Amino acid sequence: MTPPQADVDGGAGPADVAVELRGITKRFPGTLANDAVDLTVRRGEIHALMGENGAGKSTLMSVLYGMERADAGTVRIDGRDTDFASPADAMAAGLGMVHQSFKLFDSLTVAENVVYAAEPRRFGLVDRAAARRRVRELAEQHGLFVDPDARVGDLPVGLRQRVEILKLLHRGARTLILDEPTAVLTPAEADALFAVLKSLAAEGRTVILVTHKLREVLEGSDHVTVLRDGRVVARLVTAKTSADAIAAAMTGRAVQLDRIHAPGTPGEVVLDTTGLSTDAVHDITLSVRAGEIVGIAGVAGNGQSELIEALAGLRPVTAGRVTLKDDDITHASATERRLKGLAYVPEDRHAVGTAPAASVADNLAMGHHRTSLSHRGLLPPTSVRAHARRLIERFGIKASTPDVPASALSGGNLQKLLIGRELAHDAPLLLVEQPTRGVDIGAIQNIHDQLIAYRDAGHAVLLVSAELSEIRGLADRVLVMYEGRITATYDKTEADERTLGLAMAGGTSARVEAAD
Amino acid sequence: MNPARITGALRSPVTFSVLAGVVIGALFLVGTGADPITAYEAVLTGALGADGIGSTLTTTTSVLGMGLALAIPLRARLINLGGDGQMVLGGITAAVTGLYAPLPAPLTVVLALVAGMVAGAAYAALAALCENHLGVPLLVSSLLLSYPAVSLASYLARYPLKEPGSSLPQTRAIPDGVALPAFGDSTVTVGLVLVALAAAAYWFTDRRTAIGYEIRMTGLNARFSAYAGVERRGLTLKLMSVSGALAGLVGAIGVLSFPYRFVDGSLTAPGYTWTGLTAALLAMAAPVGTVISSFFFAVLQVGGLAMERTTEVPRELTQVLQAIVIVFLAARLRFPGRRLNRRKEAV
Repeated sequence: MTPPQADVDGGAGPADVAVELRGITKRFPGTLANDAVDLTVRRGEIHALMGENGAGKSTLMSVLYGMERADAGTVRIDGRDTDFASPADAMAAGLGMVHQSFKLFDSLTVAENVVYAAEPRRFGLVDRAAARRRVRELAEQHGLFVDPDARVGDLPVGLRQRVEILKLLHRGARTLILDEPTAVLTPAEADALFAVLKSLAAEGRTVILVTHKLREVLEGSDHVTVLRDGRVVARLVTAKTSADAIAAAMTGRAVQLDRIHAPGTPGEVVLDTTGLSTDAVHDITLSVRAGEIVGIAGVAGNGQSELIEALAGLRPVTAGRVTLKDDDITHASATERRLKGLAYVPEDRHAVGTAPAASVADNLAMGHHRTSLSHRGLLPPTSVRAHARRLIERFGIKASTPDVPASALSGGNLQKLLIGRELAHDAPLLLVEQPTRGVDIGAIQNIHDQLIAYRDAGHAVLLVSAELSEIRGLADRVLVMYEGRITATYDKTEADERTLGLAMAGGTSARVEAAD
Repeated sequence: MNPARITGALRSPVTFSVLAGVVIGALFLVGTGADPITAYEAVLTGALGADGIGSTLTTTTSVLGMGLALAIPLRARLINLGGDGQMVLGGITAAVTGLYAPLPAPLTVVLALVAGMVAGAAYAALAALCENHLGVPLLVSSLLLSYPAVSLASYLARYPLKEPGSSLPQTRAIPDGVALPAFGDSTVTVGLVLVALAAAAYWFTDRRTAIGYEIRMTGLNARFSAYAGVERRGLTLKLMSVSGALAGLVGAIGVLSFPYRFVDGSLTAPGYTWTGLTAALLAMAAPVGTVISSFFFAVLQVGGLAMERTTEVPRELTQVLQAIVIVFLAARLRFPGRRLNRRKEAV
C-alpha cells in the first residue's frame, strides 16, 4: 500500500523540525523491525505513531531514545545529527519518555521522584524545600496538579502518570514521547491528559504519542504516521483523515470498527452469585443467563480480576454464595468447576493462560487432557496432535505445525489459541478477561465474532474488559465495578460511553442494584 | 532422528557443557604435567573395558536410581534435596526386614524392597507435607529432614543392630539367599533391571499419560497448570512419594547386594544423590536424557578410579569435570531468560 496522502512533511523547514529520523533500519534475528523508516515531527505538534503489535513502533522509539542502535539511518534532533548511546544522552538532548509501565519509586514522595537524578542542591545536599517548590511551580505552570509530599505508591495511576510527565519537564525535556499513555486511564483521565498535552504543545514542546487507540489519535493529534511490518505506510494529517482510513492503513485492509452486535436472547440463569466477597471484592450479586454476554466495565484494578478468579475457583470466597446451573460451587475447586461446565480465558495469557515454552499442541490440550483426549489416564500423543490440528483449523490459528512452541506465536495468535481452547470445552459458562488486549485489529474482529457465536449457541458469557468499545459492542448488559463493588448496571441501550466513563471513575450512577 | 534434530542436539547447551568440561579438564591435566589423552583413555578403558564394565553398571544402578528419584519431581520444577535421607532409610529398613522377616528368602527379598521403598516414600512425603501445610519450602524441608534420617540409621547400625564382635559400624549380614540375584559372578544384580524398569515407567508416564502431561506443564508454567485445575499440593505429595520410593529402592538394592548388610556411611559416601541430581539437571529431567547422563557420570566415577590407578592422575579430576559441567549448565539456566526479556523489549 502506498501512502494515501502526499508527504505532509515536505514543507517543513529545518528550523521547525524537532525530530527527524531518516532511513532507520533495525534488524533483529529473524525480523526486520524497521525498514528504512522516515519520521519527521515538527516542533509544537502532537504526532501520533500508530501501528499494530510488531509493526515496529517500539523499536523505532527505542532507536530514537538511545536504547537500541539502528543498523542504518540518521537521527536529527533540533536540526543536529545525533548518535545516542543511551537514554541519558537522549535526555541531555531534550528528549523524555514516559514508558507504558511507569519508572517511579513507589516508596518515595512525588517531589523526590520528580527531582531524582537532577536534584536541586544546597551545600552539596539535596534541597528538599527547593524540590517541593519546583514541583509546585511546574505543576501550576502546566496544569498538572499533584501533591508534592504524597507518596507515589498511594497515588492512582492517572496521577502517577502526571509525576512521570513532571519528571520530564523538570529535566527540561522539549520533546516528550508517551508510550500507550491511556492504557490504564479512565476516559475522564485520558481527556485530562490530552488537555495537558495540548497545552504543552501550545507552548512549543513536541509530543510523540505511541498508541493503537484511534479515538484519542483523532481527537488529540495533529499528524499521524502509520507503520506496518516495519515500514511507513501512511503519513496523515489528522484533520483530513478518519478512523477507518487509519485502521485500513494499519491492517492493510478495510475493517469495521466498533461494531455494536445485535443483542442475544437470554434463557435460564447459568451463573448466579449472592453477596460474594473475597480479597478486594465486596458483596457482588450478579447473574448471567444462557445466551447473553454480561460485561463488567471498570478501570483495571477495581476488583475485576479478583472476582473472576473467585468465580474460577482460584481464589477462596470469604462470604456469599455462587451457583452454576443451580449447583452450589461456592467452595468447589477449579477442577470441579470445570467439570460442572466452566471455561475461563484469563487476562494474562503468557503467565497464566499458556505455557509459552510448551508446544502449541500441549497448550491446546490443557483442560481437555482429562476429558475428551484421555482414556483411563492415558493421553496418546497422536490424539493430542489431532486435537491441536482441529482447533488450529477451526479457529484460524497461524502455527506452522502443532509442535512449535507457543512462544513463537504472535500475541493475537496466542490469544486465538487460548480462546479457541476454552471455547472448545463447549462449557455452559465462559469467563473472559480482556480478550483483545494487545491484539491486532484484524484479530480483534475474529475474537469478537467467536464470542458472539458462542453466546448465540446458548452459552452464558461473563466478559471483563477495560475497553469501553468492546463492552459496548458485545455485552447485553453492563455492570460497572469500582473499588471492588458493582456500582452500576445498564442495559445495552443505556450504556453509552459517557455514562460508563462516569461510572468507571466512581461517579454516582442512576441505578445501583442487583443485576438481574 | 532427522538431521535437524541432530544439529539441534549438537548445538544444545548440554553438549556444550560436556565438551567444555572435557576441554577445561584437559587444560587442568596439562597444567599438572599429565597427558590428557592418556588420562581420558584410562577413564574410558577403566570404565568400559572388561574389568570395569561390571563396576560401571553397578554404579549406574545407584546413580540412575537417584537420578530418576530427583528427575521426577524436577520435571515439575520441584527439587528434592533429601535423597540421602530417603535412600538411607530405605537401606536400613530393607536390612531390618532382611534380618527379621520370618518368610522364605525370595519373599523376604521382595518384602525388603517394598519396605525400603515405603520408608523412603513416607519420609519424602513428610517433606512434601511440610511444604503443603506449613509453608516450609520443599528445598529446605527435604534437605533438613535428610540429616536426622541419616543419623537415625547410623545410630541403629552402631548400637541396637550392630554386628556383635565387629569393630565396624555395620549390621549383621542378612541371611544367605536373602539377596538380589546377580548376573553371573559379577556384582551387577537384578537391581539394575528394576531401575531400568523404573526409567521405562517414567518415560511412559511422561510421554503418554495425563498425569505426565500435568507434571510437564507444571514444570513449564506452574500458574498455567493451576489455572487449569491441576492441584499443586496433591501433585507435590505424589511426586515426592515416588521420588522417595525410588531413593528408598536404591538404598534397599545397596543392602540386598554386596556387602549384604547396612554399613553406616557406605550408601552416602559415594555421593549418588548429588551425582544423580547433576544427571537429572543435565538432562533437564527428561527420561531418556536422565538415563544417558546417569550412565555418563557412572563412567566418570568408575573410570576416575581406574585413571588414578594407572596414570597417577588423582581421581578428583573427574569431580572437577563434573563441577565444570554443572557450572556451565547453571550459566545456561540464566541465559535464555535474559535473552527473552531483551527480545520482548525490542519488538
